[in-house]
Formats: sequence, structure tokens, C-alpha cells
Amino acid sequence: MDALTQGILIGSKWVLPILAVWLLLRCVRSMLQENYEPELWARLEFSDGTWADVRHWECIIGRSRGCDIVIPDEQVDRTHAALIRSDRGQWTLYDLNSGGGTAKGALRDEGAGLDVQDGDVLFFAGVGAVFHPLDEAQLLENGVRRSVPGQFISPAVSLLVLTVFQTLLALQYSADPGRSGAVSIALSFAVLCLIQWGCYFLTRALDRSGFELETLAFFLCTLGLSVTVTAASEQLLRQQLLRQLLFLVAGVALFLLLGWWLRSLRRTKALRWLLALAALGLLALNLAFGRSSYGAANWLQIGGFSLQPSEFVKVAYIYVGAASLDRLYRGRNLFLFIAFSAACVGALALMGDFGGALIFFATFLVISFMRSGSFATVFLAIAGAALAGLLVLTVKPYIAQRFAAWGHVWDDPYGAGWQQTQALSAAAGGGLLGVGAGRGWLHTIFAADTDLVFCLVSEELGLIVALCAMLALIAIAFFAVRTAAGGRSSYYVIAACAAAAMMLVQLALNVFGSTDILPFTGVTFPFVSRGGSSLISCWMLLAFLKAADTRQNASFSVRLSVKGLRPAEDGGALLSGEEAEEP
Amino acid sequence: MKKIKARAYSTLLVALCLLAGVLVYICRYAVHGRDWVAFPANQAVYQDGRLTAGVLTDRGGLVLADVADGARRYAADAATRVACLHLLGDRAGNIGTGALLQFADRLTGYSAVTGLPAGGATLRLSVDAPLCVTAQEALAGRRGAVLLMDYTNGEILCMTSSPSYDPDLGFDPGDGRYEGVFINRCISAAYTPGSVFKLVTMAAAIETLPDLYERSFSCTGSTLADGNQINCTGVHGQQTIEQALANSCNCAFAALSLELGGETLARYAADLGFTEALDLDGIPTAAGSFDAADAGSAALAWSGIGQSTDLVCPYALLRYVAAIGNGGVLAQPTLFAGGGGKETRLLSPDTAQALKSMMNYNVVYGYGEGSFPGLTLCAKSGTAEVGDGSSHAWFTGFLDDPEHPYAFVVVIENGGGGLRSAGPVANAVLQAAVNTTDGAN
Repeated sequence: MDALTQGILIGSKWVLPILAVWLLLRCVRSMLQENYEPELWARLEFSDGTWADVRHWECIIGRSRGCDIVIPDEQVDRTHAALIRSDRGQWTLYDLNSGGGTAKGALRDEGAGLDVQDGDVLFFAGVGAVFHPLDEAQLLENGVRRSVPGQFISPAVSLLVLTVFQTLLALQYSADPGRSGAVSIALSFAVLCLIQWGCYFLTRALDRSGFELETLAFFLCTLGLSVTVTAASEQLLRQQLLRQLLFLVAGVALFLLLGWWLRSLRRTKALRWLLALAALGLLALNLAFGRSSYGAANWLQIGGFSLQPSEFVKVAYIYVGAASLDRLYRGRNLFLFIAFSAACVGALALMGDFGGALIFFATFLVISFMRSGSFATVFLAIAGAALAGLLVLTVKPYIAQRFAAWGHVWDDPYGAGWQQTQALSAAAGGGLLGVGAGRGWLHTIFAADTDLVFCLVSEELGLIVALCAMLALIAIAFFAVRTAAGGRSSYYVIAACAAAAMMLVQLALNVFGSTDILPFTGVTFPFVSRGGSSLISCWMLLAFLKAADTRQNASFSVRLSVKGLRPAEDGGALLSGEEAEEP
Repeated sequence: MKKIKARAYSTLLVALCLLAGVLVYICRYAVHGRDWVAFPANQAVYQDGRLTAGVLTDRGGLVLADVADGARRYAADAATRVACLHLLGDRAGNIGTGALLQFADRLTGYSAVTGLPAGGATLRLSVDAPLCVTAQEALAGRRGAVLLMDYTNGEILCMTSSPSYDPDLGFDPGDGRYEGVFINRCISAAYTPGSVFKLVTMAAAIETLPDLYERSFSCTGSTLADGNQINCTGVHGQQTIEQALANSCNCAFAALSLELGGETLARYAADLGFTEALDLDGIPTAAGSFDAADAGSAALAWSGIGQSTDLVCPYALLRYVAAIGNGGVLAQPTLFAGGGGKETRLLSPDTAQALKSMMNYNVVYGYGEGSFPGLTLCAKSGTAEVGDGSSHAWFTGFLDDPEHPYAFVVVIENGGGGLRSAGPVANAVLQAAVNTTDGAN
């Protein structure tokens, strides 16, 4: 090895973790540090002269402190009425079986809801209030106030950091004299770069500024591409890279499509039944024609591609499972959703996809708790699942075997624990900084680029980068929870939290399975594990998070509250045309 | 929406579980990473289960084992390869106590921060390879072991075991001379100690019998214990305790043993490290044995003389004489250059001083200083009868010389008289060790 390649290797070994940490910190600060004011849509002016802000599309009005608009009056029920805005800006007032009743003027709500306009006088039992939606000028003023730059962190710089990371990674591969296909590798990293910058400019073109989620996802995809390079054999390298990039393009395209679709709550809700049926149909198809692969019959062969239908069902599951507030408060219970969940989990268990069933179940817990707020439901579900789990353990011997090996992999390092012991051995060998991209040995072990991918990254790029990958997903989950404060509809908030929880559970099963902290279930690391279906579904899950991001002009997936505002380079907002006046 | 917002925190529960798991992993990584790396399926440092990383050198930097073309390579010099075989271990791993196997985790060069460096680490051992060669040659093919250490800092300068062979050439398994060739007799064997065990009985006597130095021990060539005759090496007449040790008088030590009792002797044997398996840089050594015999029995009399069921590992004896030489304090022996491990007090300074002067008396008035020219030697010989008419030859002791603070043990299986057979080996190794040090100065 000449001095130059040696220098690149040693230098990038140090620089890659620094860049990863820097990138992560930038995104985390941008997503989580900045306090922003929730949107403002309308005001209620009470007869005593006080005002209440309407900050969501779905507001609960009542005496309880948990309501969005609190009326501290004994006549008013604890949860009295719901005020809901449609996509088109039409506000409707629903009575929630209150004792005193809800009315617009003299008109009482009998269950169908009351359309309310500017200036309408609303009555909650004996309390009256005048309804004032914000007009265009007020919305604009509010929008400008909400986008006053605080500590702005430029997404372009973050993406630039990621680009340097990718360049160094590609250099590490090409500096390896024993590796062929340097051109393919460099090209695929370049294509990845193009895709991410393309996405960024699209976001800017749409007058949106939020790009942290995409940046983190592209960071994880970068690791995924590196994993693909490492694990591919010489003959298959080009083919595997091409496949992985195609899947990435498909994933990003579907992410954009779903994100755009989610802009409208009306059309989103309209598709729920259809998607539920499609999901069940897909699972049934899978059960009937599924191809068994290493214990789990969860693959379908379509054309030249192997697909994992359960990955797409994940997206549908969240799409179907999330619900808007009117649905939660008016009548319907969780029955249909529980039946749908049982069908999904049951189908996966039948296929032998135990990890997949666990992911669905955990997501079910999050969704059902967010919908019902009832711990009893959750405990009941857990108890039921524990019983079902025991049943599975007795019926499926290979799963019982994995449970037996759990925590004891070093007792039988060449038998039941061989994958985990080798993964741990390799991961420890990498230290904090890794042995260098493509210079490890774990990639020769079966499923190193999928189930053991955390240890593979840890070996080659170091523990710091591997932990950054985990923390990136954890940060995304924190972001999902944060968006709940300003969510327009509970549908978006529930979907975002459920999507984040789903990714986290999957992450936990993957990482802790390969490191013997949990039983080895063979699920994928979101965005990083090689594999098409999983990559596409992760991108689609990310769309749910984008749809919940109500920061001013942040997300392409959220319809602008007011047109004419565009994000400025310093993070503030400009009125269209304002830019031209500046020197 | 406020309620939904509160419920959204349930998602953080998953995130917190994940963070807890990450912490568990990081802790395990920090604690067990070293063990994980030294797993023979780790292809970075093992091939076919054999470690292919790391370099071992002797204290002078002479390469004893390194890696060339993915395979283990031993020293260039054949005599060095033979003399250091048991120290290092063979390629196939038959010599389980060898440094290549036992220090595998250190040879990989692993650290939790940097992981595995390419090529592994270079470990400098405390041994002096030429000294090992001298010792191996002095054994001249006889079965046995030679150990020599610096008793001030614990560095083991010489550790060689015979029979041995050149790992590059192998040996003929059908040849009876190579029976038990994979045993490092320095640390993995325990022999009947014979008279060298009288040093243990003596320590017990010094600390238990206040009038020991005023006593006179009578020897008529044999004595009776529980009706059994105990023969002595000669007729020694009236002796002081110093003379009894120099004469290695069985009559005197039989009497002392009977007086001290089995429990006391067993306690001293255990406290001085003769019965339990010990730990040399993580390498477990062979346990010895000492059975507390019934009061007044012949077995008790014989046990204090180092016969009966007594067994001693040469390494345990080395620790003991090193502690005597170092004023009662044992500097933990080590195979790594630099020494400086923990220090343990085995004997009180007075007892150590008393034993030291008696062992010097042995040499001056018993063995003859002429056999050990130029050395300030304190020693004890042993001729341990093993029942088939032959006896193991022992010679152990130390130099009372701050310039050359060496403790040593020589044992030759079925080698005959301790002084006659093992003494010259000890002398050869000590002379070489002293010359090496003086040459370096």
C-alpha cells in the first residue's frame, strides 16, 4: 500500500465518525432543539370578552384540562364538543353527547354536526362564543411570526456534510488495491448523492425547508449502500448495486407520492378501507403462494424480484390504523382495528415470520393506546399476545430453539449461537473507528448484510458510526412525538408515532437480536439492511412523519397554511418577491 | 389533540427501551469485547482456529514467534525454538499453557477504542532466550524443568522444560523419550519434593517452636515413628537446627514434624501456596498436595520430610524461595518484561531472614561453595524417593546478591541426587544469568 492510500484509510477512519456525529447533531438540533409555535387557525371569542386559540384542525372543547379549548364552567361537560376543520377549510362543530348540548345560534347539533362560519355564535350548554377563522392576512402574519429565525441550521450544510461522508466512504473502497469494481462503487455513491440533492432541490422548489428526516434517511441509506458493496461477491457487485439503487429510487418516489397523498386528509381517509382489503389480500396471497426462505415463508416471487409483502402491509397497517379525532370521539370503537391487527399478526405467525409479527404487535399497542388512551386495552392485548406467543413457541420448534440460545450464545458458539458470536467478535474487532470499509470479515457470514448488519457496520466503520445509525432513528422517533403538539389532525400524529415506533421496534429486534440482548428474530435494520421491500417500506413510513411536521413551510407533505410565504436561506420567511428587492 | 399529544409519549417508551438496550450493549462491549475478539472463529486474527496475529519477543527483543504469510513462525535459531517451546506453545495448540494460546487476547493488540490493529501487538516477555537455551542444554535431554526469576520484581528470566522438540521439525511420537512432551514441567507438573520441603517444615518450626535454636537434634542413622523405621542419609550425631538442615537430617525433621503436627504443616503448605493451583499471568498452574496425617503416625513424620503423599509444583517452590530471598515478600511472578506486579507477604521478615541464613549455611558448610564459584548462594537440595528405587533431583534457592537477585528451581525427574544432578544445572544457569547481567552493565 502506498502512502496516499494509507493516508486516506487512516485519515478517513477518524473523519467518518466525526462527520457522522456532526451530521446527527445538526439534524437533532434542527428537529428537536428549536421551539416553534403551533399553527393558529381560528379564535373563539367568549361572551365575557376572553379569547381561545384554535390551533389544530381537530379540537376538543370542554371543561377538562385535557381539552384543547378549556371552558371552566360547571354547565359544560368535561368533554363537550369537537370543532373540526376539513381540508377545504370548512369548520364543523360536533356535540359529544353532552348534557347541556351544543348549538349554533338556535340550531342544536343532533349528531350530524353543524357547519360554522365566521361570526357564528356557538353555544356550549349555556356558554356562548363567537367563531372567527383567521383570514388570509392574519394567516400570513401568523406564518411570518412562526418562521422568525431562531438558531437556524441549514439543511444544505447538513447534506453537504453527508456528501463528504459519502465521498470519503467511496474513497476508502477505491483505495483498497484488492478490490475490483471501483468504478461501479464510485458511480453508485455518486447516484445516491444525485438522488439526495435532487430531493433537496425539489423540497426547495416546493417552498419547503425541512429536510432533516430525509438527510438522516439518506445517511442510513449510505450505510446500506456500503453494506451492499461489502457483502456482494465480485461477480454480483454491479447487479446488487443496481438493484439497491433501483429500490432506493422506488422508495424515494413512493415516499414523495405517499407524502403528497397524505396532504389531503379527506382523500387519505377515503382510501383506508381499500388499503385494509389490499393488505389482507396481499397476506392471503402470501400465505397461499409464499416461498419459504430460512424458516419463514414470507417471500413472493414476482418477475425477477423477490418481494416481502409484509413490508408493504406495514405501511398499509399504519395507514389504516391511524384515525382522526372525530372518529375517536364519535362512536366507533377499536373492534374493527383489533380484528384487522389480529389478521395481520396471525398471518405473519402462520408464515413463521415471528419478528414481523412482533413488530406489528408492538405497533398495534402504540396505535391502540393512542386511539383509546386506555391502559386496560394495552394490558389485555399484551396478555393475549403472551398466550399466543407461548403457543407459537410450542408449535414452531425453530423459534423455540432461538429462544433457547438467547443469552447463551457463548455456550454454543459454533452451534446455536454461531451467527451472534461471530457478529459480536467482528463488531468488537472494529473498535470505535472500525477497520475500514470493505476490510472486515463478517461479510462472509450468512445474513451479514441483513440480520447482522449492525455488527457489520460496527466492524467496518466503527461503533460510533453504528451507534449514530441507531440514534438517527431514535431522533426521528423523538421528532414524531414532538410534532404531536402541533399536529393538525390526530390521524397524522398517530400515524407518525406509529411509524416511528414500528421502525424502532424493528431496529431493536435487529440490533439486539444480533448482539444477543434479545432473541434472534432476523428482521431488518431500517434503511441499512440490504433488501428492496424493506427499504421501500421504510421510505414510505417516513412519509407519515413528514405529514405530521407542521413547522412553517417545513414539510412538502403538509399543505401550506398560507400561500405566498417561502423559506429564506437564513431560515426566516420571505414573502414572494421580497427576495428581489434585496441587494 | 392535547390528549393525543400526551398519549404520543408512549412512543418514547419504545425509544427509552432502545436506549437502555444500547447502554447494555455498550457496557457488554466494554467489558467483554476482549473475549469476543479472542474467539477462534474471528477471521481477522485466527486461521483454522490458530492465532495469526501478534509477535512475542524475549526481554532483549529477540523474536521468539511472529507471523509470516498468515502462519506462525518461530525463532530463527533452532536451540532457541527448542528451549522456548513450552513457554510459547506449539502450532497445533497441544501445549495448552503456551503464551500463544494464553496471551491470545493480548497478542491481538485489541483495545476497546481502536479495536484490532493490523498485524496484532508485540509483547515483550521477561524471559532471556539465551538463558533458556543454557538451561535446556544443561538438562542435556533429562526430563525436568528449570525456572529462574528476579525476586525483586517478579520477572521470570528462564522457563524451560524437557523433553522438548523443535516445532519446525516435530518429533517422532513413537519415541519413548517424547512421552509427555506437551507438558510444561515448570508449571503443569507436581513432583514429590523430598528434602526441599524441609524449607516449609522449617518455616513452621521457626514460627511455632520458640526454643528451636537452643535445641540439639540427635541422629543415629534412623528413628522410629509409630513403629516404622525412618532412615536418615547418614549418622549425624548431635546437631543444631542449622546443622540438621544442612545435613538434611531425616531424624531431626521427623521429630519436628511429629511435634508440629499434621494440621500445622498443612496450614503452612497451604498458606505458602503449595497446595492450590496458582495463577501465572492468567495461566493456571498445577496444584500440589499435602495431606495432614494423624498425630504420631509415620505418614506425618514422612510428610514433613517431603515424602509420603506430598507433591509440589516447581513454580510453587520458585515463589517460595523468591519470597525468602526478598525478605518474605513475594513479587508476583510474571512472564512479561517489566514485572512490577503486586507484592504479597508470604513470611515475616524474621522467618525469611532465618531461612536465608540457614540456606546460606547449607551452601557454605554442606554443599561447598567451590561448586558455585563466585555466587553468594542460599540453597536447598532435595532427593525425592519416588518408590521405584530412583529419585527426583531438586535444587532450589536464590542468590543473596542485590546485583543479581535471582531465585531458581531445578528439578530432574529420576535424576538421582539433588546436589549431584540438579546442582550443576543450577550453577550453569546462575553463572549464565550473572554473566548476562554483568555483560549488560
